[in-house]
Amino acid sequence: MIPHDPEERRALIGEYLLGLLDEPEAAEVRQLLDEDEQAARMALDWERHFLELSDRLPAQVPSPALWLRIRRSLGLHAERRPSALGNWWNSLLAWRLTAAVLAVALLVAVLLPLLRSPDIAGQRYTVVLQQPGEAAQPGWVIQVGSDGTLQLDPLVADQVPEGRALQFWTLVDPAEGPRSLGLVEAGKPLRLPAEQIGAVQAGQLFELTLEPAGGSPYDRPSGPVLYIGRAVLASAN
Amino acid sequence: MADRDFDYESTLEACARGDERAFQALYRQEAGPLLGLAISMLGRRDLAEDCLHDAFVRIWQHATRYRRDLGSGRAWVHSILRYRVLNALRSGHRHAEVDDDFIERVLDDSPQAEAQALEQSEQRLLRRCLQRLERPRRYPILLAFYRGLTHEQIARRLSTPLGTIKGRIRAGLRALQECLQA
Repeated sequence: MIPHDPEERRALIGEYLLGLLDEPEAAEVRQLLDEDEQAARMALDWERHFLELSDRLPAQVPSPALWLRIRRSLGLHAERRPSALGNWWNSLLAWRLTAAVLAVALLVAVLLPLLRSPDIAGQRYTVVLQQPGEAAQPGWVIQVGSDGTLQLDPLVADQVPEGRALQFWTLVDPAEGPRSLGLVEAGKPLRLPAEQIGAVQAGQLFELTLEPAGGSPYDRPSGPVLYIGRAVLASAN
Repeated sequence: MADRDFDYESTLEACARGDERAFQALYRQEAGPLLGLAISMLGRRDLAEDCLHDAFVRIWQHATRYRRDLGSGRAWVHSILRYRVLNALRSGHRHAEVDDDFIERVLDDSPQAEAQALEQSEQRLLRRCLQRLERPRRYPILLAFYRGLTHEQIARRLSTPLGTIKGRIRAGLRALQECLQA
C-alpha cells in the first residue's frame, strides 16, 4: 500500500501526521517511519513546516502542578545527587552527627511548646483581594495556614465573559515578576499546597486577572487586574 | 514563539544522557506552545494537559531515539505531542464545536506576525505556500491541523462529499510539498 514514488510517499506521510489515515494504513506508515530513515526524515520535515502553523497559536501556561506530575510519573522526585547521598549514607561520622542532631531536635520539639507560643510551624497570613481603585470592593479572601497551605475563597460570584478566565498570581520579588498560581473558577474556592506557594511574606502581593480562556499566553498577566491585595500577618490564635 | 537561540537538538541529546536540567529547560521552553496546540485541537484544557503530560513522559523515556541527522528537535517534540492529541481525539474525546474564525485569519499577516516574519523569513515558507493554494484545498488542511478533524468530520463540516475532500487534501498536500521544495 505504501507508494514507491517518493513524492507520493511524502504526501502520504503528511496525511498520516495530520491524523487523516484510517487505522490499517496509519499502522503501515508507522512501521515505515520506524524502519526507513528516509521516511522518518520526511516526517520531521513536514513537522518542521507545521511548526509555523503551531506558532500562530498563543502559548498557554500549564497548571503549576503539571511539571510535578510529569516528574512523579517518571520517578524523578529524588532531586539530590545520588553520589553525595551515597557517601553520606556510608559515613559513620555522618550517622553519629545525625543522631546527635536528631536528639537535640527531639529535645527542642518537646521543650519548645512549653516555652513559647504554639505557632512554631509557621506564620499565618490573610489577604483580602479587592477591586483596584477607589471602590475597593472586596471580592476574594486568602488564608495561608501555619502549614503553608493556601485557601482562596470567593466573597462574590464573578461574571466571567465567555472565552475568558480568571488567573491567580503572586509577586514575591518585583525583579522576578509575577508567578502564576493557576486558573481560578469564578465563585469557587481553591486550595493550593504549600510547595506550590512557597514561603509567604508579609506584604506579598496576590492578584486575580482576567485572561483569555486557558490563561495568559505569557508568563506574566496579560489582562486587567480584577482583584489585588497584600498579605498581612494573622494574629496568633 | 520559537526561540531561535534555544538549542533543541543539544537539549534532547542531554535528555538522552539523563540530564534532568535539560529536561526542565525543554519543559520551560516548549510546554507553553505545546499546550496552546493541544488546547486548539482538543478544545479542553484538562485533556490537553493530560496529553502534554504524556508527551513529556514519552520525550524523556525516548530521548535516546532522537537523532539530529533525522531532523529538527523541536519538530520531533511537536510530533510526539500531536500523536498523543490525535489518539485522544480518535478514542472519542471529540471537542465541542469551536469557533473557526481563527483558521480563516491564520494566514493573514498581523503586524506582530510581520515582525516575526522579518526576523525569520524562511520560517514563513509554509504559510506563503498555503496562501497560494485555493481555499477549497487549503481550508481542509488547516481544519485537520488545528482541530484534528478526520476526513469524515471535515466533509460534514464543509458539507462536501467525502471523496471530494480526500482528493482535495491529497492534491493540496502535493502542491504544498512542491512549493516547499521549490
